[in-house]
Order: sequence, then structure tokens, then C-alpha cells
Amino acid sequence: MDTQLLISGVIFGLSLGSIFFLLAIGLSLCFGLMRIISLDQLLYYSVGAYLTYSICTVTGNAWIGVLGGMAVAGIVSFAVERFVFLRIYERDITFTMVASFGILFAGIGVIKYIWGLAPRPVPIPIEVQVSILGTEIPVYRLIVVAISLLVYGGIWLFLNRTITGKAIRAGIEDIDHVEGLGINVYRLFTVTFIIAGTLSGLAGGLHAPLIMVDPVMGLEVLPFVFMVVIIGGLGSIKGTLVSAFLVGQVISIGSLIYAPLAQMAPFAIMLLILLIKPTGLYGSKLLKR
Amino acid sequence: MMNIFRWWWGILLMFLFLGVLRIFLPLPFMNEILIFSIYTMGCNFLLGRVGFISFGQPAYLAVGAYGTAFYLYYFGTNPYIGILLGILAGLVVSAAIGPLFVRLRSDYFALVNLALAVIVFYLMEKVLAGITHGDNGLWFLTRMSNTPVLNLGNHSDFFIFVFILAMALWAFYKYLDDSIYGACCLATKINEDKLKFLGYDSFNIRWQAFIIANTTTALAGALYAVYFGFVSPDFTSPSRAADPVVVTILGGVGTLYGPIVGAIAYTGMKDLISGYIANWELVIGLLLVIIMLAGEKGIWGTLEPLLAKIIFRKRTVSGFSTNGDKNL
Repeated sequence: MDTQLLISGVIFGLSLGSIFFLLAIGLSLCFGLMRIISLDQLLYYSVGAYLTYSICTVTGNAWIGVLGGMAVAGIVSFAVERFVFLRIYERDITFTMVASFGILFAGIGVIKYIWGLAPRPVPIPIEVQVSILGTEIPVYRLIVVAISLLVYGGIWLFLNRTITGKAIRAGIEDIDHVEGLGINVYRLFTVTFIIAGTLSGLAGGLHAPLIMVDPVMGLEVLPFVFMVVIIGGLGSIKGTLVSAFLVGQVISIGSLIYAPLAQMAPFAIMLLILLIKPTGLYGSKLLKR
Repeated sequence: MMNIFRWWWGILLMFLFLGVLRIFLPLPFMNEILIFSIYTMGCNFLLGRVGFISFGQPAYLAVGAYGTAFYLYYFGTNPYIGILLGILAGLVVSAAIGPLFVRLRSDYFALVNLALAVIVFYLMEKVLAGITHGDNGLWFLTRMSNTPVLNLGNHSDFFIFVFILAMALWAFYKYLDDSIYGACCLATKINEDKLKFLGYDSFNIRWQAFIIANTTTALAGALYAVYFGFVSPDFTSPSRAADPVVVTILGGVGTLYGPIVGAIAYTGMKDLISGYIANWELVIGLLLVIIMLAGEKGIWGTLEPLLAKIIFRKRTVSGFSTNGDKNL
């Protein structure tokens, strides 16, 4: 394979992996802490992307759009958490999953109602290209990778240096003890859910210029995001980062070798990893509940 | 005699109801409901009895559908043999991958199955495109020969065939529920350690349940193939992966009539609402959320105690018959 193709493939994989990471981190936190499978993160992803499109067409600046998308995604996730999830946290995991699937579906309906069915293009905010080892690389993709690494750093600091973050980490290990210490776990849940929703909105906003924005974009990335969460190990942030970049690379390099491999190979890898190590790469053994 | 009647009457009543519906509702809708409920039954058995939630049911559906389609497109013309081969394909595939899958925990099981569905999808769409004709699919509607007694090419005959088949399956699942094996399945869901302690092999029980459920799903796939006379990779598209799970929970997990009630409700809502409003997703999504908020028992799980109260004037002990597990 020629080097230029390989380098652009690696960069493409990195940027794809960054988007997956931003999306999967929300799912992973929600599963780890609240024991819910929150399919509606994909809705906040679409909301973020659509608002980026709308604000970008009005103001002409995609970055404001991304910020707006994040804000609205955060607000929507807060509302959903208050009205739906707060009532069903206690239930079995399958029920929260179906409820979140319902929210995702309803949200797609709303999006179709507001923005219509047609896919929308979002202009790339930075058209500049840099040359790395003789290969032209779009700067925007590098920025996406940088942002996701910044988010990883931020999340790491938040979880390890603030008291709320420490409580969340403790909650992932053993929620009953945290509650026993007198911490209001439902407030933790709300905070986590809003963080997750905002990050999903960020993922949507950043992904929007790279793809066409259409109503079912959430359903299209759904299997991949799930896969990232599972490979990394549920509830592990570091595992999510590693597996997101792994999956991104597998998709991107795989498509260079043989096109159908792009979609199939990650799932084959997930199958293998799960059969060898059923908890995922960094899954904690404590999570047996 | 009386006991036999009592065992059958629930099923007969349900199917009498369906037969009456046939007069009022259009034929394609009824066929869709029946096939969909067979599809859901497998998922219902896995989820309600064994405690496995599976997002990969489309994979097994596609196995059945393609098993039938390959025969009808390349080799023979008899749809009955095609359906039999579809079932056989489902049986072989689920028996082969069962031992790998049933070791996993429920949430991982769901996602490994999803992975399988995606793999089957791309296998059919791209990798095996030479045989499956990729997205164009296999068309064999005109290749199917007319069969005596029930001509499956004819939609009203097909309805009768599926009707009888669905009824037989119901009787089979009801029989399973009543048998010791059914109790063992439920025990693997509720308390696996105790089941092992009692000397049963939980791995074998799960494996068998996995085979039974997925063969049922493959049968639904085979029926879809014969009904449409057409098979494409869309059968196993990952975006439809949640359908059977949603319908199962909508109808009521683990209840005997849940699948058919859920199938009627889901297909009906989809058809009815999409006739009036363009974006039916909104309504279905909201309804799902409302049903989930109202209770975790689903439509039939909520209705059953009420019906029992009205029909038998019996008072059900609260919290006892919630899951339709009266027989156990």
C-alpha cells in the first residue's frame, strides 16, 4: 500500500475514532453509573449536528454552531432525564433501554418534522490543509482529534480531582455504598447524564461537516458506538478511548484493503475480544451486578 | 376431556379472535401480523424465559430467509421444501454458534448478537454478493410452483398456512411453559446457582433454549421469504435490530400472548399512524416511552389480570400473576 494513502487513512481513522470516543463516553458513563443503556445519546448527537447546520447557515460560523449544539443537547438531555429516566432508574435494564429507544425514535420524528427528510451539508469550518510526510491532511480532522483528547483530559481531571467526579467513580464501583455515605446519587445521575448528553452533542457538531446531516444519522452510528463501549469495557473511560481509536483505525485501514471490511472487521474484532475476554479490554471485574 | 379443553381454550380463543379480525382487516396486514408474531415469539422466549436480551434476531431471520431463498432461486420450486430448508438452516446455525454465545452475560449477549447481525448483513450485501445479488436481492416469486391443498403463492391460502403454523407454535410454547424444561429455563433466569445445585446443567438448558428460539426466528424468516417472494439484505439491517425486542416488551415479556398482542399493536400503530401523519416515529416513540413509564408489564401483562377479573370474576392475588406465570 502506498504511504500517502496509509497516512491519510490513519488520520481519517483517528478523527473517526475521536467522534466515536465522544459519543461512547456518554454511553459508557451512563451504563457504568446508572445501569441504563441510554440509546437516546444518539438523539443528542443528531440534535448537535442539526443545530450546527442551522446556526452555521444563519451566522456562517460552524464553531458557534457546535457550541450551540452542545448547549441545546445538554438542555434536551436534562429535560429527558428529569421527565423520563428519573422515574425508571430503578427498573430492569431492558426497560430503560426500550424507553430510551422510544425517546430516540420520537426525537427522530421531531427532527424530521422540523428539518425535513433531505440530508443537509455543513461546510467545513477550516479548509486549510497541512502536509505531513508529503501527504495533504485537512487541518479540521486534526482539530477534531485534538478536541477529543482535550475532552479526555478534562474528563480525567474531573473524575480524579473533583469531589463530584470522585463520587461518580465510586458510584461506578458500588452505588449502594456511595448512597450510604450520604451522597445524593440522583444528583450525580443528573450531572452525569447532562455531561453525557453535552458530549454527544459535541460529537454531532464535530461530525456534521465530515458527513451529511440526516435524520437517521444516529441509527447509522449506533452499532459502532456500542461496539466501542463494549470493546473498551463498560464504565471505563480509558478503555473507551483506546477502543474508539482502535475501531476508527480498523474501519479506516480496513476500507483501504477491502471495502466491505470497513463495516465488518470491527464487529469481528469485537466478537473475538468478547469471546476471549468477556469484560472488554479494561472492564473491571467489580462490575458484576 | 375437560382438562384438555381447559389447556386449549386460551389458544383457541386467541385464534378465534384472529380469525374474526381476518374479516375486518386487510389480508396483507393479517399476514404481516402473524409472521411478525412468530418472529417475536423466539425473542419473547429468550427474553422472558431464559433472560437473554438479543439485538441480533435479524441475523437468524436472515439465515432462515436466505436458506429458503437459495433453494427456491437456484435449486427447486416447492415452497414447502424451501421453508423446511430455512428452518434447517436456522437450526444448524444456532446449534453451531450457541455454545459460544450462551456463556456470555445478558448485556454482552445482546451486543454480540448485534455484531452477528451486522456481520450477516455485510456478508449478504457485499462479501457473498455473487450468490445473493447484493442489494438487488433474490426474486423468485414466479419460480415458486403451485402446491396442492394450500397454494403458498396465493395470499389467502398463505394466511391459512401461517395461521395453522402459528397456532401449532403457540401450543408448542405453551407446552414448553408447562413442562419441567420450561421451569428449568425460567430457573436459569431467576437463580442459576440453585438450578445447578439441583443437578441440572444450565449450559445445556440455555443452549437448547437458544436453538429453539432462533429456529423459530428462522422459520419467520423463511415465511417472509415465501410471502414476499423476495429476499434482500434489508432483512438483517442493523437499524431494525431492536424491533423484536421492542415488540416483545410492548406486548409483555414472558407472557404467552404478549408476542401477538405486541405484533398487532406495533404493526397496527405503524400502519394506522403512517396513514394519517407523515412522521409516525414521533407517535410510536412517545407511546413506547409512555408504556414504559406506565409499567414494565407491557400491554398484555397489564390487560391479563384485568381480563381475568372480568371473565372469571376471580380475584388475582396482587403481584402473583404479574408475568403470566400462573402455571408455574
